[in-house]
Amino acid sequence: MNLFGLMETSGSAMQAERMRAEVVAANMANAETTRTASGGPYHRQMVVFAASQGDPGFLNSLADASGGASSTGSASMPAMPSTNGEAVAPGVEIAQVVEDPAAPLKRYDPGHPDAGPDGYVSYPDINPLTEMVDLMGATRAYGLNSSAVQAEKGMISSALEIAKS
Amino acid sequence: MDMQIETRLSDQIARYMDLATSELKLTAANMANIDTPGYKAMGMDFEAEMREALNGVDQGRGARPVSVKAVDGLIARPDGNNVSMDREGLNLAEAQLKFKTGVALLHQEYQREMDAIHADSK
Repeated sequence: MNLFGLMETSGSAMQAERMRAEVVAANMANAETTRTASGGPYHRQMVVFAASQGDPGFLNSLADASGGASSTGSASMPAMPSTNGEAVAPGVEIAQVVEDPAAPLKRYDPGHPDAGPDGYVSYPDINPLTEMVDLMGATRAYGLNSSAVQAEKGMISSALEIAKS
Repeated sequence: MDMQIETRLSDQIARYMDLATSELKLTAANMANIDTPGYKAMGMDFEAEMREALNGVDQGRGARPVSVKAVDGLIARPDGNNVSMDREGLNLAEAQLKFKTGVALLHQEYQREMDAIHADSK
């Protein structure tokens, strides 16, 4: 049984949650940004998570390399547990980072260099409350997965104790 | 009387630890997908798998892949995800304890064998 594969699962989640926190930080940093490379105000970004199918390459090539040996009972490389052929997601990945299509907020400030002819400036529609809640969720999920890594580390080191007298 | 390094008990404990690892793997996958919309928590029936593994040891069969199914009775959030942080936290602790129990038992079993090996050296 592959204990190290577990770390990959939890690691992918920690990576994804960190990315989510980074996006939140970018949103908060740009809460007042009225100029972007694409023109117009900054738009709020959001991450989309998807259950990943992982990289089966290594396990497959390992199984190929061990060839016929893998068919002899307990010596075989146990595959990811599956339910009627459908593999369990070994982790999570960021499918995409999407832009919130919400219309910008208009604030009257005729002296601003980015003000329109009507004197209104377009500001990004970013709510600090929403961002903070998202950041909190990311932090908690990160902590949850890091405690899973801690558990995995504990199991691996206790498995090493078997051979000690 | 024939003496083997690999005893029936050590095989059984090995299967037990394999299953604890599988349980932890499922818990880790569920935890990783705690914010994935539409993801459904996966689980396994530890007792049924253990029973099957014990039969497997007696009949000399190798380890079978664990059968995994979606967990019933969990409340789904509005985004369709039904991973419960409490359930996963408890399962994580339980799988860890099971694994450590396996380690302790296996250690004792090997210790017994070492004692047998060194029985005449006192």
